[in-house]
Amino acid sequence: MMPSALDIDGLAISFNGKSLLRDFSLTVGHGEHVALNGPSGCGKTTLLRCVLGFATPDAGAIRVDGEALDARTVWELRQRIAYVPQSPEFGDGTVEEVLHRPFAYKANAALAANVSRAPELLKRLRLPDDAMSKQTGDLSGGEKQRLALVVALLLERKMLLLDEPTAALDGEAKAAALELLREQSDMAILSVSHDEALRKTAARVVNISTPKEP
Amino acid sequence: MGAIDIGIGGLAAAYALLILPCAVILWLRIPMLGQSALAIARMTVQLLFVGFYLEFIFKLNNFWLNAAWVLAMIVVAEFSIVRGCELRLKPFLGPLFLALMTGTAIPLLYFLGPVLHRPGLLDAQYAIPICGMILGNCLRADIVGVRTFFTGLRKGEAEFQLALSQGATLQEALRPHLRDACQAALTPTVATIATIGLVSLPGMMTGVILGGSSPMTAIQYQLAIMIAIFSGTALTVAAALLLSLPQAFTPYGVLNRTVLKK
Repeated sequence: MMPSALDIDGLAISFNGKSLLRDFSLTVGHGEHVALNGPSGCGKTTLLRCVLGFATPDAGAIRVDGEALDARTVWELRQRIAYVPQSPEFGDGTVEEVLHRPFAYKANAALAANVSRAPELLKRLRLPDDAMSKQTGDLSGGEKQRLALVVALLLERKMLLLDEPTAALDGEAKAAALELLREQSDMAILSVSHDEALRKTAARVVNISTPKEP
Repeated sequence: MGAIDIGIGGLAAAYALLILPCAVILWLRIPMLGQSALAIARMTVQLLFVGFYLEFIFKLNNFWLNAAWVLAMIVVAEFSIVRGCELRLKPFLGPLFLALMTGTAIPLLYFLGPVLHRPGLLDAQYAIPICGMILGNCLRADIVGVRTFFTGLRKGEAEFQLALSQGATLQEALRPHLRDACQAALTPTVATIATIGLVSLPGMMTGVILGGSSPMTAIQYQLAIMIAIFSGTALTVAAALLLSLPQAFTPYGVLNRTVLKK
């Protein structure tokens, strides 16, 4: 049997001594979009960070494509995941430089030709025609989110982690982003959002609540 | 012909010149009179101690004693870097020692060997002062470089983690931070090299001239020491940063904040 794209088993997460998630389990199938819903501060973002190895859970296991995530495998597993943070930070440079940057990494060198698809994706996401030459520091929060989404899609990963990807988008840009996400039928997507419209694009919504203190 | 001995009277006259900065400090009510007095007192005690000690080791000119002195200088420099960069001592003790050793020993031995053709490996008269000059610059470069690296990384952690999430290796994700840190560390040395002789007469050149050598001999020494300093600072900063990475990051590539004091 083919393993799930993502398998989270009995995860416990705490932050600054406060328990956020306890015995949390979730499976995301290949090509499935699962949306996580829950109040602010309940651990949704930390959960995504755990999948990327940026946060360490107190207990439980994470498997990507059936492979356990640990200090040894995390570097290879990250190459199967694309991530769109809530407030992406790209450092200095123009949009064009940001689009090329990930393809300078050894792991993505074979995908370098994908950058040629960037102008079309930027246009679809309603980014202005002169976006390529803009400095990242001059982009609005919504423009940064759309740029991060474009980079994530160009990387052609099997799984996409989205942290409030439409939070800073207006109506037209949001509709365009949702349409683009709907088209990613071969990608496993785990999204975190308070946005009802985004949750509607998901095949499944999983509700998370903060565990009651014993 | 050697330099004129200043003597106790001359030295007292030199200290009398301190009236000028003290007057400025008092007149403008700058709250650094105590700090300045302490610095002058420390300088006096430290240099007197070094003077007596150097007289002693110059006379003996023993390889092991000279090596021990160089090692002691490196250890003191290492503690200054750890304090100056607000790092925890234990994780960085080994990496910074190796970095300072690399940045100091390689240009020093090159200077004493192929440049000066000294017969002894660590001839006290040459090794100690040249080591001091190279090490002093390595110390400053390491403080600037290591500090810039960790400050930049804490400020740009989101960007760094985005790079990791895009498939970058630790080295690839850190490259902009390593580049900025090395640039910040080397900029003062490059600026000094570019303006040397125009803005000020450098210390070594002055010393050689006062020691009775011709200005052309002094210039040859100065050129050689500046190249040694530039080589040493570049080596030590790169080594300090690269050797510190295993201590500063978890096996997942996350900055280990427990090694930083703030």
